[in-house]
Formats: sequence, structure tokens, C-alpha cells
Amino acid sequence: MKTLKPILLTAICCAFGAAVANAGTLENLERERAIVLDAYLDQSLQPSERQSKTQISRTRLIDLERMVLRDKSLAGKNTPRVRKAFDNYDLTFLVHASTESKRGVLDHWLDQIGVSTHSLMNARLGRR
Amino acid sequence: MKNHSTSRIVAPVILAGALVLSAPVWAAVESESWNPVVSERLIKLPANYLKKAIDHDFAKSALALAIADNRELTGLKTQTLQDLQSAIEGAQGELKVELRHQFLAEKRAYLELVARTQDLRRRQADTKIRLYGKMLDKLGRKAAAMTPQHAALIDKQQAAQKRFQSSIGAVDMKLFGNAAMTESKYSQEYAKNVASIERLVAAIGSHPMNRRAEIDGKVVSKQDYLRQIITESEADVALLDQEETVLGYMAKLIALDAMALSDAVVADEAGDGPPAQEASINAAIDFFVTR
Repeated sequence: MKTLKPILLTAICCAFGAAVANAGTLENLERERAIVLDAYLDQSLQPSERQSKTQISRTRLIDLERMVLRDKSLAGKNTPRVRKAFDNYDLTFLVHASTESKRGVLDHWLDQIGVSTHSLMNARLGRR
Repeated sequence: MKNHSTSRIVAPVILAGALVLSAPVWAAVESESWNPVVSERLIKLPANYLKKAIDHDFAKSALALAIADNRELTGLKTQTLQDLQSAIEGAQGELKVELRHQFLAEKRAYLELVARTQDLRRRQADTKIRLYGKMLDKLGRKAAAMTPQHAALIDKQQAAQKRFQSSIGAVDMKLFGNAAMTESKYSQEYAKNVASIERLVAAIGSHPMNRRAEIDGKVVSKQDYLRQIITESEADVALLDQEETVLGYMAKLIALDAMALSDAVVADEAGDGPPAQEASINAAIDFFVTR
């Protein structure tokens, strides 16, 4: 009986943990997008490695972007995460927006966050 | 004989008095009720189904049963009144007075029944007005409850949907047009399901039971439809008010008939013996002139 109690408690905690960990479509999209961007920006990766990694993630990202756009549970869900996601279509639905603008995913993302070839060329090394 | 005739005189007067006193008694009877509840599920129903659901709920209520019972009784009472009326036409003397008295009593009973039906119908109309009014309020509150931030989010989501729908074809062509990238299992299955859904939606759209709410052949919003039902119920109440006036005049006529019958019976009673006359003094003259 004494050993049964901690086991039960652990089982309950695990059950709750599993429930909390069950992310929605938007959370999954954000995670996958972060992985794609990380792969693009990772200097340690060889070009071939980067390409294979981003290729797989891109297909997944397309599906996730569509899932989010078709997710009825997000309609009118007034939470900071959902508001932020729909504030900028180009950043949230990165693959669709980049294909629309006929640019690569990374180029589109950099453009959206304000980093362009022009701004980089004009940048000067300095100290703040 | 004297006692019998007195009761015939008093009965119509009691009848007339009872007519005046009986109205508040009906108001006290509250056992027949209909208590519909405005649930979220009810509000979400399409306008046409909503009315049907409420009508169905009413049909199962004690109030609907009471109204149906009363209507049936009123019909029977009308038949009785017709029978009595034709019987009076062919009757004579005592029997005619007795039948007239019975006719009055039946008319009073008829009025009681009609007034009771009116009371029940008024309760139905009032409940309907209250119910549909609450629904209208809830629908209004739902629309008003949206904060500017919430409304902005919905706008953005709709804009995103629009942008996605307008670009999905081009995106698919660009992404999956070359052999390097193939459609995922999700995309393939989704496309299949969309085709099935579209067929089902088309079938639902053309289903005769899926007609949208209409007023005079024009499709209207749920709010408009609810307002129309409220107006119709208000009209029912107004007509009931008018019918109540008619009922009041009928009651007054019965009271007058009762008084007329009472007078007629008194006149008959007086007609039974010789009329009381002053004895003329001239008749006694002979007693004095002869010795």
C-alpha cells in the first residue's frame, strides 16, 4: 500500500504532463519554423546537409501552415499567441508567403525582419 | 309552487352575479404551464428549425394540452347552445322558461370556457414574446461582447484565409510542380476529403429541409426572423385584448337576459291570481237605497 501511493501519484503527474505537452497546430508550426530557420542559420552545417534538412522541414511546414489556416479552433481565439501569429501573415506562414513573393524562405524571412542586401551593404562595423 | 317560482326568479340574478365574480378565479389557475429555456444550443439552431423546435416543445407542454382540451369543450358547448336554442323555439309555458334559464346557464358556461382559453392563449403568447425576446437579447449581446481587439483578430484571420485561398493554387504549382518535391500524405488526403465535403455540402444546400428563414418569400437574418415572430405574438396579444372586449359584451348581454327572464317570471307569477282592484263605492249604493 505504501509503495502504491507514490506510483499512483507519478501516474497522475505523467497523465497531466502528457495533457500539457499536447500542443496545438499553431505551437507545432512555430516549433517547425524555428527548426527550419535554425537549419538555415546554422553555420556548422554543410550546404548539402542544410539542403536535405530544410527540404524535409519545408514539406512539414507547408502542411502545418495549412493546418493552422484551416484550424477552426483558432477562429476568434483571442490569446496573445494567436493574435501575434495572425498579426503578420508573412512571418507566420513563411513557406506560403515566400512562394507567393517568389523568393527563398530565408530571403523572405530576412526581408520581413528588416535585413536586406541593401541594408547589409550599408552597415558599418562599430561599437555601441 | 311559491318556493319553486322564487327560485326561478333568484337563479338568473345569482347567475349574473357569478359572471362578474368568476373571472379572477381563472387567473389563479396556474397548473397549465409552459416554461421553455433559452439554451445556447437553441440559439445556435437555424431560424427555421428554431421555430419548429419551440413549437414542438410547446405542443408537448401542459399548456398546449389545456388549450386543446378547452377548444374541444368550447366546440361541444356551442353544439349544446344550438340545441337549446332550437328547443326553446318549439317550447311553451313553464318548459320554455326552464329552457331559457338553462340556455342562460349554458351561455355562462360557454363564456367561462372561452375566457379560460383566452387566458391560456395569452399565457402562450406572453411566453413566446419573452422567449424570443431573450433570444434576441442573447444574439445582440454576443455581437456586442466582441472587443475591438477580438474583432481585429477575426478580421486578420479572415484576411489570412482569403490570401491563403487565393494563393494556394499558385503555391501548389510552384512547390509540387517539379519532381523534387511531392505532395504530403496530409495534402493528398485533405484534397480527397474536400471533394467529399463539397459533394455533401451541395447535397445539404439543395435539401428541401435546409431552406433559410423567409418572410414574404425573402430570405432574412435570424434576428429579423425572431423580430417577426415577436411581432406576430404581440399581434396575438392585441387580438386577445379585443376578444376580451367581445367577451365582456357577451357577459353583459347574459346579465341583461337574466334580468329580462327574471322580470318575465315575476310578471307570470303576478298573472296567476285576479288583479287587485280598488272596490268601487258605486257598487254598494244598492245596499243603501233599498229598505
